[in-house]
Parts: sequence; structure tokens; C-alpha cells
Amino acid sequence: MLKTTNLLILSVLIAAFSGCKKQLGQQIDYSLDVKPIINKHCISCHGGVKRQANFSLLFRQDALDTTEFGKPSIIPGDADHSELMRRITSDDPEERMPYKENALSKNEIKILKDWIDQGAKWGNHWAYVPPTQVEVPSRSLFAGIFGSAVTKETEIDYFIDKKLKTEHLSRAQAAGKTDIIRRLYLDLIGLPPSSKQAENFILDDGDDAYEKVVDQLLASPQYGEKWASWWLDLARYSDTKGYERDAGRNIWRFRDYVIQSFNKDKPFDQFTIDQLAGDLLPKPTDEQYIATAFHRNTMNNDEGGTEDEEFRVASTLDRLNTTFQVWQSTTFACVQCHSHPYDPFRHEEYYKTLAFFNNSRDEDTYGEHPLLRMYDEKDQQKLDGIIGWVKKTNPSKEESILLFLKTLEPKIHPHDFDHFVNGELIDTKFLGVRHNGSTRLTNVDLTNKTTLVINHQTPEKGGTIEIHVDQLNGALVAKFAVPSGKGGKWNTSLIPIQKTNGVHTLYFTFTNPKLKEGHPVSTVEWIAFREDLPGSNQAGYKAIKKDVDSLINHSVDNTPIMIENTERVRTTHVLERGNWLVHGESVKPEVPKSLNLFPQGQQYNRLGFANWLVDKNNPLTARTVVNRVWEQLFGIGLVETSEDFGTQGAKPTHPELLDYLALGLINEHHWSLKKLIKDMVMCQSYRQDSRITAEQLEKDPLNKLVSRGPHIRLSAEQVRDQALSLSGLLSLKMYGKSSMPYQPDGVWQSVWSDDKWETSKGEDKHRRGIYIYSKRTSPYPSMMTFDGSSREICTVNRIRTNTPLQALVTLNDPVYVEAAKAFAKKMAASSTDPSNQINFGYKSALFKEMADTKLKVLTRLYHDALETYKKNPDQAMKLINEAKPELAALTIVASAILNLDELITN
Amino acid sequence: MKELFTNHLQEISRRHFLLESAAGIGGVALSTLLGGCFSGKPKELMTDSMFPRVPHFAGKAKSVIYLHMAGAPSQFETFDFKPELQKLHNQLCPQSLLEGKKFAFIRGTPKMLGPQASFKQYGESRTWVSQHLPHLSTVVDEMSFLHAVSTDQFNHAPAQLLVHTGAPRLGRPSIGSWVTYGLGTENANLPGFVVLTSGGKTPDAGKSVWGSGFLPSVYQGVQCRSVGEPVLYLNDPEGIDRDLKKKTIDAINQVNQEHYKEFQDPETLTRINQYELAYRMQMSVPEVMNINNEPASIHELYGTNPGKVSFANNCLLARKLVEQGVRFVQLFDWGWDSHGTDENLAIDIGLRNKCREIDRATTALLMDLKQRGLLDETLVVWGGEFGRTPMQENRENKIMPFLGRDHHVEAFTMWMAGGGIKKGASWGETDEIGYYPTKGKVSLHDVQATILNQLGFDHEKLTYQFQGRPFRLTDVEGKVISEIVS
Repeated sequence: MLKTTNLLILSVLIAAFSGCKKQLGQQIDYSLDVKPIINKHCISCHGGVKRQANFSLLFRQDALDTTEFGKPSIIPGDADHSELMRRITSDDPEERMPYKENALSKNEIKILKDWIDQGAKWGNHWAYVPPTQVEVPSRSLFAGIFGSAVTKETEIDYFIDKKLKTEHLSRAQAAGKTDIIRRLYLDLIGLPPSSKQAENFILDDGDDAYEKVVDQLLASPQYGEKWASWWLDLARYSDTKGYERDAGRNIWRFRDYVIQSFNKDKPFDQFTIDQLAGDLLPKPTDEQYIATAFHRNTMNNDEGGTEDEEFRVASTLDRLNTTFQVWQSTTFACVQCHSHPYDPFRHEEYYKTLAFFNNSRDEDTYGEHPLLRMYDEKDQQKLDGIIGWVKKTNPSKEESILLFLKTLEPKIHPHDFDHFVNGELIDTKFLGVRHNGSTRLTNVDLTNKTTLVINHQTPEKGGTIEIHVDQLNGALVAKFAVPSGKGGKWNTSLIPIQKTNGVHTLYFTFTNPKLKEGHPVSTVEWIAFREDLPGSNQAGYKAIKKDVDSLINHSVDNTPIMIENTERVRTTHVLERGNWLVHGESVKPEVPKSLNLFPQGQQYNRLGFANWLVDKNNPLTARTVVNRVWEQLFGIGLVETSEDFGTQGAKPTHPELLDYLALGLINEHHWSLKKLIKDMVMCQSYRQDSRITAEQLEKDPLNKLVSRGPHIRLSAEQVRDQALSLSGLLSLKMYGKSSMPYQPDGVWQSVWSDDKWETSKGEDKHRRGIYIYSKRTSPYPSMMTFDGSSREICTVNRIRTNTPLQALVTLNDPVYVEAAKAFAKKMAASSTDPSNQINFGYKSALFKEMADTKLKVLTRLYHDALETYKKNPDQAMKLINEAKPELAALTIVASAILNLDELITN
Repeated sequence: MKELFTNHLQEISRRHFLLESAAGIGGVALSTLLGGCFSGKPKELMTDSMFPRVPHFAGKAKSVIYLHMAGAPSQFETFDFKPELQKLHNQLCPQSLLEGKKFAFIRGTPKMLGPQASFKQYGESRTWVSQHLPHLSTVVDEMSFLHAVSTDQFNHAPAQLLVHTGAPRLGRPSIGSWVTYGLGTENANLPGFVVLTSGGKTPDAGKSVWGSGFLPSVYQGVQCRSVGEPVLYLNDPEGIDRDLKKKTIDAINQVNQEHYKEFQDPETLTRINQYELAYRMQMSVPEVMNINNEPASIHELYGTNPGKVSFANNCLLARKLVEQGVRFVQLFDWGWDSHGTDENLAIDIGLRNKCREIDRATTALLMDLKQRGLLDETLVVWGGEFGRTPMQENRENKIMPFLGRDHHVEAFTMWMAGGGIKKGASWGETDEIGYYPTKGKVSLHDVQATILNQLGFDHEKLTYQFQGRPFRLTDVEGKVISEIVS
């Protein structure tokens, strides 16, 4: 250190005396000036992946270290003696860096030289430094030119205006009332306003007319449905398991949880904790358990012959990657195989962080355990009775027994068994041991265990299972006749075992001499070892035990959830190059060093980790949320690369605004998303007109500076919901199992699966897009055409495309034809004059009179169509199932209206 | 040109896609308005995302027909002749082959299963082909065989994903998406990347094998069907004729023009263009998907049966599609998973029938392409997602009802033809029982690198910026198999 300081002083002195080649005081900034050069020219060979010549520029420590050539490449304070400078300026093509690429520019070389001379200080990338209080810019001079008494600037506008001013742009005028009301409705609840709702606003001259609507919409139940689709993309929510069989998964309660949480305005910190670690909270509620399904949305491979552990590991990696994508805008997946190529995360840090997630009970089993059992009122009464009994007889057992009755955990799965004799894992899923066969289970703690719980299917009577301790012919701890059940029914049986303390290896032997060759004595899905239900010597015990038996055997609806291992705890290893089979050193849970410290007093588990994410010192969480919400409303984030805040991502266009909003979210709004959203939609910048001028298109083509109002194509859900809403078909039924609206025949052809698309009946087929059944390997076609997510992996933002297939959907998909017909009926009822009918249709969608030029075009279409249908009444019959040429012609026009650019965009 | 191309790809990276797609008609408007942003770039770069583009270097192939036998055909009854295996038939498998190995279904010690087909040598290349493929054996001198392809995925869905997306997990773009992203399409009236399926099922990995992953959805494969609408929502609703549809689209576009005049959003112009394209697509897709008008000689050649879903029909369609300028045609034929669990999946029955189903049509495809002068510029690829074991499957350590083979990752056979691939060549060998490669082992990433190479791409440079780093089809691997490139 002393040496470095001396060198630094020396170099400053030399610089001072050497004719002042460089301007003193022109401080080089690592993040702004140096890092971009390194990322562009050096890092691909000297970074976290490749370390050519043992030289890496990722961390300062590594960069100053001795290289393969026996000396350091950078000597802080002494560029002239730094090998790096020699190499980037060398004339020898074999030596000159970047190797075989174009040389650095003079300016780049000068920056690196100055930087080294100034001590080669490493700076922190903006995103890893927590936001600090920012000064709100003063009200801009030109602000308010278009403002009236009812349109007041907010602090957000001051930031936006300041930046616009530097680009010699100014804010556009306020959008007309008809435009802004539609934009606001679509953005807040995902649906256009009804004519009446729009009219109420347009006619309301009060100062608070706009704010009143904002408050109403934020309080509307449809608000949660709109914003849930954003979150469900992040959560990769789907109604199927993925991979080959892609069978159904009963996880819709998680979707409902998200909708309800948005509607309740659950603070985002709590929303985070519930989803990542709800199961670890004290006495978790069903809601908190269901929240943890967030990370049960990983895929599960049912394909025959798969190794459960391989896909368990894949799920765990996905959880970590997704968590960093969702909460930290960080591309952590890079670090799975090697240190991050650009950002300051080391390979081991990935696995240390993974250790937080690596100890959950789920193991890629066919049954998707653990599952939260959803009890009805009667069952709940039984459960309450049992828990009451436990509280009375041995309260220390309450937690464990409650967990077991609600989840049947912790259980042991067939893939933990080995040493099969005359037996196998059936389809790699179930334990299937045949007559005179046996299998082994190691590492079982039998201390205080008195009961074996076994979930199995046994069609044939006469089978016996024995359990021997430590050897095939060791001491017998259990022998029981396997209870059989008719018709393939699964039973959960409670079998007494002899008390044996300590950890043992168990041998299970199976016999049933009556069985035909090749049939298993019993097909076992899982087992569990349990302690006695307390109070066996007290009156009423038998009845309580019977309730337990009836409760756990009751076939109930359920939801996959997270539960932490308590018994068979896993050790996390670094996986070499991310390969699940190649274990490196073992690691303990820890968070990456480049980010905030682990909060004091928190346990090193998922709960502690979740608290770390929402800790005030975490530099990324609040910025990430603010940026994503901004992106939803303005079409592009303050950081354009909303998936990546790292050094390869875009810089924030308005860094102060980003921090101002992030700090406001934490300190003033206490993580309320509704308040954050209200702040954003209340500002004048959001409420601008969206017409584009040539100047704006030149200076701000993507509207990153918010020089005009957002003009964005509607999302897949919105395109559908709007058409159904305008036509009056839309059902606002909320929650419950996903629905299956019309889908062409033959779209689902999954292998090894009998799952069928069965079109929902009645109003269910007209529910909002958020409720459409989502199958990963065969997503709903029209949603995908409009860039919906197939929910295979976490999707941060949907890339908006503009394709001919989209036109085919809105023109030809029977869903839209049906909507056009219903829309036409409404139009027909409004007037007897076709032009008025058409204008009515347009106005009910856009709340303004149709311009004459446009009206003429559609009126002509109407008459052309009418002529066709009058000539061919059977065509009208085919289209609308009614022999009414006028209605058929109007249906054509209604379809055209539903296809207008004005409707497809906000 | 190379630099221009790279620039271009960067441009249509995720964050700039918005701008890029705002092209079509709008491209011109945009380019004039944006000035500085686009200055110095050739005009074609400003048009839409499917506009034909120039690759890194002049490629031999302009389009690809990829024939995937979903379920993984046995190499032992098709192209990898192993007389020694016959001698070992019914003997217990030596432990050395089983130690440290994971199989999907084989348990305990299985027996060896000799080839269930006889082989002969054909053509000037003296290529060994099984009796199950009598037609294909006549065109072996057009093909290059890879006898030692290996993979590391022994389950269907992940293995198919590896073949088509370069990674065994969901979420990456498929090869057809990469190719259309890189090359655009030569016929805007048809989708650039078309998928045809036969065998009654989609592949095990579902539509993800033709998905666009993190690439814009405009590059995903479009499934064309022989039954029902050729493309979903392509047909006009009943009661709307072509003329009225034309009038409707014209009216929509006129109103949109008015809207554009007022709002000046280039995206509106793109939409106008896309509606026109949709209308043209409605005519050109049924046209190309209709095989009724093909001459009898062609039907005879392929063994086609109009109106049915069949591999043969799909082969003929594939030829028609590439002839019309479609860039990538992906055929999936399901039913090759010969485990021996039933007759259809028996090595000696089901597999033989599957071979017969594809034999004539595949041969016809090669011959037909050749007679039209298209084979030189069309790369045809054939293969499965892995190979099959030389051992007989003994699922759950039991005797199976029929002869079957389990999944095998170490070595299997694929072939390529046309598109600048050597004629009558072979690369890679396996040991006497077809278990391990002994020479010329290639990976699926090598196969992908070779396909891209034939189209004029350096597979290491066809990248897309996602989550802060450039992704490519071949991940961090892949080497062009120069031994089969002419």
C-alpha cells in the first residue's frame, strides 16, 4: 500500500514537472470512462470467463496481480511502466492488444494512461451503489406553457423537463381528454372505459376529475388482473409442468394470490418475503404458503427415465437466476458456469447464493410434492380438533403435526431407495418391488419414530412388507399386511413400527406369493416416519387418531408450495461449469460481496435472503421495481435494459429520477405499488399527447426522454380483452381454475398425454386473457402471436413485434369474429342510419367523433358489404347465422374497427 | 459487408428491435427522419425484420430442410452396420459397458441385441444401408453420413431441445429462428420458417423446438398443417369472400393512413404493410400447401396422398416451400422411440414400418430437389435426438413384450445432403458394437455450426445480445465438420 501511495505521489510529481502533458485535475471516472473501454476491447479475453495470460480486468485485486509474465500488468500511478500501456501501444502485431483486433483509439489510450497514472482506481458501477437522496430540479421555465389550472406538474416532471431541456426539446401538450382516459384505463386496469365512464370524465370539469378516476381505477378489482400479467411473466406462471408430457399443474391459486396482492396493495417488501420465504414465517397462513408457489413455477420433468436430481438441480438454478432477474435486474445465470464475464460476481458466489435455495423439500417428483392440502370447512374442523388435542397434550408437537396434516411433509420419495432386488422404480417414479424382492433406504433417523406412513396403491390382496434394520436379515422393526384398495385407489396407511433410536439403514422386503410374475406387491409413491400422536393414554385419543386417518386419506385439492428441509438437509457444492454431476467444494449460504451486507440478526436461510433483498441498503430492488413499473406505463424503462442493470446494460436516461422514485417507494410509500403508480400517472409527462413531430422522431425516436405521451401496441391480453369488452361479451368473473376459450382443433398434440383442450362453457370462454389456460409446450396461439409469454422461463419484458400473423388473428380468429358480430349488434341498436351506427361503434371505442374522411371509408365498406350480402344472403347466414344483410355488413365494419391501429395501440 | 452485417445484428438486438420493426413502408420514412441514426447504411437494412439479408460470407445453401425423426431412430437398423453385434446377440452385456452409465430404462444386466435388419453396400461410395431403406440406398452417393454424432442428453425433450436450440432447457431460440433472424426470408408472402409435423404428435419438447426463445417472436416457426387451416387463422371466416376481405383490409389501411397523418408514428405504417402482407399470405400459403395440382408423376415419386397428414406429403410440401423461397423448413415425424413396449415401438416391426414410411418420400425429396436444380442450394439434414443401445431394453429389469432398444447418447448416425455437402462421403466410425465413437466423433453443436456454415454464417458470430451477453446457437462450443463440406 505504502509503495502504491509513493508511486502515486511520484507520478503526480513527474506529471507536474513533465511539461504538463495532461491537464491536471481532469479526473478519470472508472465507471464512466474506463469500464466501457475495458468491456468493449479487453474483457472478452481478460475477464471472468477467459483470463488470458492469467490477467483479468474484472476485479482490481486480479488486475494488479502478477500475470503469466511474472509481473503485474498495471502499476497504479505509473502508466509508463505498466505492461498494459506498452501492449496497447506496441507496434509488434504479435504483442499489440487487443490481439488481432483494431487498436484502441488515441483518446481511449489516453484515458487508460491517465487512469493508471491517477492510481488505477476501481469505481463502483452505479447500480451497485445504493441510491442517495437526490435534489429535485427546480421547476423548469417552459413548464406550464400548456398547463392549465387542472394540470399541475409534479416533481417527476421537473426531472423529465430538465433532461428535455438539455436536448433542446420541450414537453408536448396535454393529451385530449378522450385519449388520456383510454390510456389511463388500459394502463391501470387493462380494459378500455365504457362509454359512460369516459363520458363522466370528459364532462367533469373539476380540478380533481383525473385524480378521481385514477383513485377509482386503483381501487378496481380489475387493477390486480391487469398488473398480475406483468408479474406472472416474471414468475413464469403456467398451468402445466413443462417438458415432454407437459401435464397439468394445479397452481392457479398462485395466480389468484398475485391478483389479490395487487388489489390489496400488499407492500412490495412483504410481497417479496411471502413469495420467497412465506413458509419460513412464524405460523404461516395458507396465503403465505400459496405465495411460495412463486418458485414452484419451475418446470418438472415427468418423462420416463429422467433423473429427478438432475431436474431438481435445474429448478434450483432457475430459482436463483429468476430471483436475480426479478428483484435485482442482474444476469446471474452467467455466473452458473464461470465468474461473470463483465460484472463483479464470482463463480463461487453463485453457489453460495444458491445455498439459500438448495434446501427445499421439492425433488422433481411426479406428484410435485410438497403440496398444500386445501381443506373444506368440515376437514378444517377436524384439523382444528386435532390441533386442539395436541395443544392440550403436548404443545411442543403442534408445529410439526400441523405441518404434516397440511402438507404430509416431510416425506421420503422412491428415488431415495437403492439396492433393488427383484424390484425397480416404476417409470422412475414409484417404488415397485415384486414377490421376494427388497430395497434399501439409508440414513433414516428413527429416534422417537413410532409410525410409518405409506402412500401406496395395492390392487392385489395378500402382500406383506417387512422392514429390517441395518441388514437384510437384521432386526425386524415392522411387518404388516399391505392394505389393498380396489380400482387403483391410493391409500395413505399408518403402520406401527418398533421404537429404535438412532440413524439407520432400512431394508424393505416384499412378499405376495399369489401375485403373477412381474407385478409389484405394492406401488409406493412416498413414505414418512412419524412420532406418536401425543396423549395416547388419554380419553378421546382413538377418535382423534381416526380423524387423523380420515384427514390424510381425504382426497383434496392442493397447490405446490415451498417447504424447507429439516431432516434430510442438503449440502450445496460449487458445480463445475454448472454441471449437476460435477461437485466442487462445498459452500455455505452467503450473498454476493458486491452488493449490500447480509442484514444483522437474520438467519442464513431463504427468509434471511428475502429480507436482504428488501433491505434499505440493497441497491437494486427498489430501482428494479420502479424501472419495471415505469416501463409498463411509458413503454420503455428509465434503464432501457430492464433485464440488466449490469455494466453491459444501458445507463439510466434519468438517473436522478430513478433514485428519487426508488427512495420514494421505500421511505415515503413504504413499498406501496399503488402509490408509485399513482405518482407516475399523475405527472404531466405521462399525460402528454402522443402525436410525434419530426423533431421528436429525430432527437427521441424511442421516446426515452418522454418528449411525448406513450403510444404503445396493446399487450396480447389487452387486445383480446378490449374486443370482448367493446362487444359486451366480456365476463368479469374473477379467480379459480383457468378457462379454455375457443382454440382451433388439433393444436394440442402432446406425447404420452391424454390432456385435451375442452372449450369452456358459458361466460367462462369470455373471461379475461389472464385466466386463459397456459400450456408451456403449446401456448394459446393468438396470445403468442401478440408476443405473449410461453412462461418457460422468467420473461422481464415482452418484445413488441408487428407481424402479418397478428392481422390474421384479429381478422379471422373466431373469437374476434364473434366479438365483431356482437359489437355490430350494439352498433345496429344505436341508430337506423349506417353512418351513425359506424360512428357510434368508433366512438364507443375511442370516445370521439370519427373524422369525416375515416367515416367515409368505413361507410363505403359498409355499402360494399351490404351489396355483397344482399346478393348472397346465404353468405350473411354463414357469417352471423342470421339472414340479415345489414347486420352482416355492419359486422364487417365492426371487425374493421377492431382492427384499426387506433384500437390496437393505446 | 461482414461489418455491416454485424452492425445490423446489433441493431436488431433486443433494445433496438422496436425501431427495427418500425420499418416496412415506414422504414423509408424513418430513415429520412432519423438521419444520423441510420446514415451510411444500405437501404435494405432499414426494411423490416424479415427482409433478405446477406450472411457473413457466401454460403452454398440458401435454405434448409431438416428432417427430424422424433423419438430417435435406431442406427443399428438403418445406417450403422455392425456384424459383430450379431455374433453377440442374446449374450449378457459385459459389465464394462454398464459401469458408470445411466440409462433411461435399462436396469440390471441386459442382453445384447443384434441388428434386426440385413445390410448391403450401395453406390460408388459403397455405403452400407439396411434393407428397410431400399429407395434411399439408391441415392447414397448424394449424401454425407455422420456415424459418430454424440449428445449428453438421454431424455427426449431435453435432447430434442439440444438438437434444435443448442441447449437442453427451454427458453433458447431454435435453429430456424436463428437462420431467419440472420437471413430474413426471400418470399415475404410466406412465413420464413415453416414447421410440418407427422406421426400424430408434436415432438416431445412441444412447440419449444421451433420457438424463438429470446429472439423477437417474428422469428418463431409457423406450423403449417395439411388438415384444417394450413396456418392458424389463415382462412377467412365463413361468409366473407376474398373480395370483401380485400375491401376490408383496404378500408382498415385507409383509416390507418389517416391516423398516421395525424400521429406520425412509423409503427402505423408498418401495420399497414403487415395487413397487406397478411392478405397476400392468405393466398400464397394455401397455394403452396395445396398438393392436389402436382402431376401424377410427382405423387408417384413421393408416395403422397393429398388430404392426409403424412411424412410423404410433408416432404413434397417442403420442396414446394423452399422452391418458393422459404428459408427453413422443419419436418418432425413422431413415432421412432423403439423401446419394445408395444408392436409399434418394436425394433423388428414398428421401426421397420417407420422406415418404410419415410424411405420413398425422403428419396423422392432428394431426387426432386436435384432434378429442379435446387439440391445444390438446399441443405437437407436427417437425424434423431440420440441413438439407441446395442443392448436389448429390459425395462424395470424385466423381459419386454417386444424387441426394443433404450436411449443411447454416445454415438448415433445423422446424414446431410445438398447445400454444399460432400457427395457420397462418410465421417465418423463407431466400435464393433456401435457403442462408442472410435473416430470422427462430432457433437450436436458441431452439426449446428456446420448447418450455419453452409448458409454462410460463422456460428461464433451469429449472436444476439440478451441479458447482458451475446448468445449464440452453439453456446460456447461447436466446430464446423469440414470433413463433409465440399
